[in-house]
Amino acid sequence: MLALFYFAAAIALIATAMALTRANAAHGLIYLIVSLLAVAVVFFLLGAPFAAALEIVIYAGAIMVLFVFVIMMLNLGRSADEEERELLAPRYWLVPGVLAACLLVELAVISFAAPGHSAGIVVSPKAVGLSLYGPYVLAVEIASLLLLAGLVGAYHVGRRFIDRSGGNKS
Amino acid sequence: MSPLATALFGLAVLAGAVGLAAILTWFERRLLGVWQDRYGPNRLGPLGILQVVADMLKLLTKHDWVPPFADRVVFVFAPTAIVVAMLLGFAVVPFGEHLYLLDLNIGLLFFLGMTSLAVYSVLLGGLASNNKYALLGGLRSAAQMVSYEVFMGLSLMGVVMLTGSFSLRDIVLAQQDLWFCIPQVLGLYVFLVAGIAESHRLPFDLPEAEHELTAGFHTEYGGMKFAMFMLGEYLGLILICCMITTVFFGGWLGPWLPGPVWFALKTSLLICFFVLLRAAIPRPRYDQLMSLGWKYMLPLSLFNLVLTGAIALWLRGA
Amino acid sequence: MSSEAALWPFIVYFLAVLALVATMLGLSWLLGQRRANQATNLPFESGVLSVGTPQIHFAVEFYLIAIFFVIFDLETVFIFAWAVAFFELGWEGFLAVGLFIFILTIALIYEWRSGALDWGQKTRTGWKPER
Repeated sequence: MLALFYFAAAIALIATAMALTRANAAHGLIYLIVSLLAVAVVFFLLGAPFAAALEIVIYAGAIMVLFVFVIMMLNLGRSADEEERELLAPRYWLVPGVLAACLLVELAVISFAAPGHSAGIVVSPKAVGLSLYGPYVLAVEIASLLLLAGLVGAYHVGRRFIDRSGGNKS
Repeated sequence: MSPLATALFGLAVLAGAVGLAAILTWFERRLLGVWQDRYGPNRLGPLGILQVVADMLKLLTKHDWVPPFADRVVFVFAPTAIVVAMLLGFAVVPFGEHLYLLDLNIGLLFFLGMTSLAVYSVLLGGLASNNKYALLGGLRSAAQMVSYEVFMGLSLMGVVMLTGSFSLRDIVLAQQDLWFCIPQVLGLYVFLVAGIAESHRLPFDLPEAEHELTAGFHTEYGGMKFAMFMLGEYLGLILICCMITTVFFGGWLGPWLPGPVWFALKTSLLICFFVLLRAAIPRPRYDQLMSLGWKYMLPLSLFNLVLTGAIALWLRGA
Repeated sequence: MSSEAALWPFIVYFLAVLALVATMLGLSWLLGQRRANQATNLPFESGVLSVGTPQIHFAVEFYLIAIFFVIFDLETVFIFAWAVAFFELGWEGFLAVGLFIFILTIALIYEWRSGALDWGQKTRTGWKPER
C-alpha cells in the first residue's frame, strides 16, 4: 500500500513538472491530466474514495476538458509554441519561483513540527454527504448561488462573440 | 475469491470484453441484415463468423500511418485513451454475487469517471490530426459527449438514493424484491438516451456523420489506430449495457439459472436492443440533439430526482 | 475494503490493459505495409487539395457548452453527495437540495429564455434576422 502511495505521488510530481515545462499547450495539458489522475489515486489510498472520484469526475473529466476545448477553439498552431518557449525563460519565472519555494519551505517546517499523520480512517461517501448537508448546508446553498453567477457571467462573456449573421455555423 | 483467482478472473474479463467487442462487429452486421432484409457478412466460416478474423488481419496489415502534419505523440496517444478508459470501467462491474474484480464503495462514480475520460480520445484525436474535418468532428462530438454526461450521472442518482450506496454490488442486492427499472423508469429512460449519446452510436453518431464530416475526428486515422477507436466504441456499448443491467435490471439476480448466466442474458438482450435502435431510428440534426439534451433531458432528470425523493420519504414516513 | 489484497488484482488488470494496447500498436507497426504515394502525406479533404490552414475559427457555442458542462457537472457532484445519504438526511436534506436544484433551475430557465441553449440563430438576443 505504501509503495503504491509513493509510486502515485512520484507520478503526480513528475507529471506536474512536465506539464509546467512543455511549450506545447496540448502536451502540457495531457501531463496535467495524468497528474490529476495520480492525485486521485493518492486520495483513494489515503482513505478518501469520494474525493478521489470527484478528482476524476470534476478535475480530470470536466475542467481539463474545458481547457482542451479552449485550446482547440483558439487553435493557434505552431507559432504559439515559439512564444510559449520564450515565456519559459528564467526571467519570467525566477521571482515567483523563489517566492513559491519560500512557501514550500514554510509548509514543510509546519508539517514536520506538527506531525498530523493520517490515521488511516476511511471516509465513506455517505459521511461526506451527511456532513455536507448537515453542518455545512449553508455552504451548499451559497455554492449554488455561485454556480448561478458563474453560469450567467459565462454566457454574457460569450454572447459578445456570437455570430449574428444568421447563418448556421457548425 | 483469493487474490490470485481474482487476478485470473480479471484477465478473463479483459479477454472476454475485447473478444465480445470483436465478435460484436460481425454480430451487429448480421443482425442489421436480418432487420433490413439483407444478408450481412455470411461467406467466411459458419454464418460468416470468420469475418472477424479477416477484418482483424486486414487492419493489422494496413499502413500504420502517422500524418507528417499531425502532432505525432498525441495522435498515437488519443485512440489508446478510449480503449484503456472503457476497459478499466469493466473492473467495477459485478458479474455475479461473488464474481467481480473490484467492489469499490465508489463503483458507480468510478464508472462515470472513466466514461468522462473517454472524451479526451475524441478531443485529442481531432486536435492532433490537424485536419479541418477532424477538428470540427472532434469539437462536435466532444460537445455532444459532455452535454449528455451531465445528466447521465444525474439519471443514476435516483437508484443511489434508494440504495444509499455507490457500490454496484449493493445496488444489485437492493433489487432483490423489485428491479429498479420499475420505480426508476424515468432514470432508465434518461440513462438509455445518455448512454447512446455517450458511446456516440447511431442514431446519435453525429461526430462521424459521414454525409458532412467524412469521418469526424478519426478522418486521418487508419489501420489499427482506427480499429482502436472502433474497439473503444464497441467496448463502450458493452459497458453501457452491463451498467444498465446492473443498475436497472437486477444484475445477476434471477430464478433457476446461475447468476452470471442471467447477467449475460440480460446484457445480450440489451445489446440487441441497441442494434435495433441503430436499424430503426434516423439521425437527428446536431442542434436538435444538443437542445434535446439541455432542454428536455436535464430538467427531466432533475424532476426525476425530486419526485423520487418526495415519494420515497413519504412512503418511509407513512 | 481498500486493503492491499483487494487492490492487487486490479493492478494486474490495469497492467494487462496497458500491455494489450501496446501489443496492438506494436503489432500493427511491425506488420503494416509501407506506402509512399504522391498523395499519401496530404491531409484528407475528400480528394480536394487542402486550401488554407486548419486553423479555422469555431462557433462560440462550443465554448458556452463547455462552460455550462463544467458548472452543471459541479452541481451534479453536490447532488451525488446528497443522494448517497438520502434516507439519513430525511426531509431536511430534501428541502436543502430542493432549494439547491431550484436555484439551478432558475439558471437553466434563464439560459433557455435568453437563447443560450439554441444552436446557431439566437432568437432572444434582441437581434432580428434580416428579411
